[in-house]
Amino acid sequence: MIQIIAHNLAPIMFVSVMAMLLIGYPVAFTLAAGGLLFFFIGVELSTFSNEIRLFYPLIQSLMNRTFDIMRNDTLLAIPFFTFMGLILERSGMAEDLLDTIGQLFGPLRGGLAFAVIFVGALLGATTGVVAASVIAMGLISLPIMMRYGYDRSVATGTIAASGTLAQIVPPSLVLIVMSDQLGRSVGDMYVGALYPALMIIGLYCLYIFILTIIMPKKVPALPIEARPLGGGVLSLFAVLALSIGLHYALYNYVFGDLRYETRFVWSATIATLVALAFSLANRHFKLGILSRLAEQVIIVLIPPLALIFLVLGTIFLGIATPTEGGAMGATGALILSLIKRRLNLTALKGALDSTTKLTAFVMFILIGARVFGLTFYGINGHLWIEELLLALPGGETGFLFVITVIVFILGCFLDFFEIAFIVVPLLVGPAEALGIDLIWLGIILGINLQTSFLTPPFGFALFYLRSISPKEDWDDAVTGQRIAAIKTTEIYKGVLPYIVIQFIAIMIVIFYPRMVMHYKDDEVKFNVNDVQITLPSLGGDMSNGGQNGGLPSLGGGLPGLGGGLPGLGGGLPGLTLNPIAPPAQPSTDQQQNNNNNNGGGLSLPGQLNLGNQPLNLNNEPPKIQ
Amino acid sequence: MTALLRLSTVIDATTAFIGRSVSWLILVAVLVSAGNAVIRKVFDTSSNAWLELQWYLYGAVFLLAAAYTLQRNEHVRIDIATSGLSKRTRDWIDLLGHIFLLMPFCLLMLYLSWPYFINSFNNGEISVNAGGLVIWPAKLLILSCFVLLTAQGLSEIIKRWAVIKNIIEDPAAQRELPPMIEELQSAADLDKRMKNK
Repeated sequence: MIQIIAHNLAPIMFVSVMAMLLIGYPVAFTLAAGGLLFFFIGVELSTFSNEIRLFYPLIQSLMNRTFDIMRNDTLLAIPFFTFMGLILERSGMAEDLLDTIGQLFGPLRGGLAFAVIFVGALLGATTGVVAASVIAMGLISLPIMMRYGYDRSVATGTIAASGTLAQIVPPSLVLIVMSDQLGRSVGDMYVGALYPALMIIGLYCLYIFILTIIMPKKVPALPIEARPLGGGVLSLFAVLALSIGLHYALYNYVFGDLRYETRFVWSATIATLVALAFSLANRHFKLGILSRLAEQVIIVLIPPLALIFLVLGTIFLGIATPTEGGAMGATGALILSLIKRRLNLTALKGALDSTTKLTAFVMFILIGARVFGLTFYGINGHLWIEELLLALPGGETGFLFVITVIVFILGCFLDFFEIAFIVVPLLVGPAEALGIDLIWLGIILGINLQTSFLTPPFGFALFYLRSISPKEDWDDAVTGQRIAAIKTTEIYKGVLPYIVIQFIAIMIVIFYPRMVMHYKDDEVKFNVNDVQITLPSLGGDMSNGGQNGGLPSLGGGLPGLGGGLPGLGGGLPGLTLNPIAPPAQPSTDQQQNNNNNNGGGLSLPGQLNLGNQPLNLNNEPPKIQ
Repeated sequence: MTALLRLSTVIDATTAFIGRSVSWLILVAVLVSAGNAVIRKVFDTSSNAWLELQWYLYGAVFLLAAAYTLQRNEHVRIDIATSGLSKRTRDWIDLLGHIFLLMPFCLLMLYLSWPYFINSFNNGEISVNAGGLVIWPAKLLILSCFVLLTAQGLSEIIKRWAVIKNIIEDPAAQRELPPMIEELQSAADLDKRMKNK
């Protein structure tokens, strides 16, 4: 009996801990306690099964694991982007955008819906917080959409879905966490996500466009009295054409000798600045060259474009790491709301307080997941998962399809941090064994996790929208009509088509990997991140190579190293990594290593640390510059 | 019981004060991090001490605020299976969870983090990066985190027991809205904006 338990400890542990999570006690502590419980069971049973590579001193490595989480620069982006999102919500930028862009698209059928998607994408490109986008759009656009007779499901669905764009359009928290857990560079993840994100935005628009044709009553155009800015789209087109022309000219003739992304950022920035200066001059000197609408549209676009430059521009120019990009954006958002006098001490305190509690629970889930991981990897749980997933029919496509379905189902009940910290690390091994590019996998998972914000009953976007949409019938302030309360089922019904769209998008990315893989063409341009690309795969190879004896694809640098190391076995992996681990602890680690290296497996602690800690490898590069 | 409840009040006040205070460090970290990028670009120089300061600050925030987050009941739960249960059953789940899940973990981490800190302190451990910061305060943060978390766990056990025995009202009030919205609402004029639309 004990034999059977000992040999099947990994599945038993997995199922028990998942069941413990359902008790409804905080995830972080349940995971940690579950990990510890099975650690002790594992040690006691270790004499019965040589698959269990656990022994009491190993528990000390929890300290280094916690310390590594602390030193992780990438995860610093979580508070930065959250704080930025909360401050930006205060600045009223989203309101201005929705108001103006809504009037711009208003004359079209479905115009308000297009405006919501456009603004959702724009907000997504400045920050990565779903709550802020959904709240702003729900407060501003939903009442207007109701007033002018939009279908209630279409309106709520579009707002919720557009809010989640923040999680797939770079810079998004999902992508940052994903690249951290997969041990790849955030820059590559951003480049890889660009086309899929644009495609999703395109698909959303296509859906609204189809509605305007087959069910025009659901998406009416705005009447003229709802558009005080009036018409004058022509001059907007003129300015647009001129600035695109300017951008093109600068790109090809002035900055021709610069690197690709530097050229792009500079020429786009200058072209935008010229257009902005022109419309400001037009307003200030009352030149009357531009229509009021065109002028207003260009002026409200200043803050988001400036923020996009601060965050993404600095990252792509190599000025800032993604983490620092988040800090730049947060500083920009602070300045913006100070200028607009929308920030007071209470609001600032509130934003800081929320950010603090969010990061504390997120980081503790990660700590809990590490405790869980220590035991789970020690009893070869990752190999069990790998066998399970590799046994799936259909190879690469079958694997991707199945994890899409699994993550989709989990996404209905868990929030994305939990999935990212618990499930995603387990997918790295099998994916590498199948030769799946981890950035590609990351994007597919990213779209999946974005969808999890939308899936009833626990989609956060639905939750946010529900909490700010009217629960009782109300009298419209403008028309005086009685408008019925928004029902939760209407919101659920509204997001359904968008969930289908998300599924289609995932399938397209799976079947056309080119959409993501182009990041490799541009690899040369991110010389900062090149360092980050090679290091993690080295780590991955040492852990996998030891067991498989094979050499998973190295995606770039250092082909010689990967082959050489696994053969060395023994205590070496621990040694090789010493420069990265803090100096005090490795000695104990190595001792344990030597004491317990009884031939059962290769180099226990070293391997364990490596297997799920691409993290700290990933963090050092900024210091190299 | 009164003495225990008083102890719990003291613990709560302490962790809340620490949690609220460290939240300002996020603002500091934002400015330091943005400053690092600008200085590196403009003056073509960077300091490992300033780079390390970022994660030091962040570490201080999430480690020292963990107890506060627990007090405010904001560590996420998966409550699909249990949200339908009676309040009393959920109180018992919390109480048993605190005793059998939270406390063993905290006590173990406490037991491990003391030598981890004291070794580093005695060796005067300094970051391996040139010009890096002293390491032991970071390890002290881990120790402090679990001291606070253990204390908060104790306070939660006392409060939950008192709630079950009907001695006090439930301090962690049930909320209808997601935490983030409540924060925004309390922090700002979201209420007003919701009415104005």
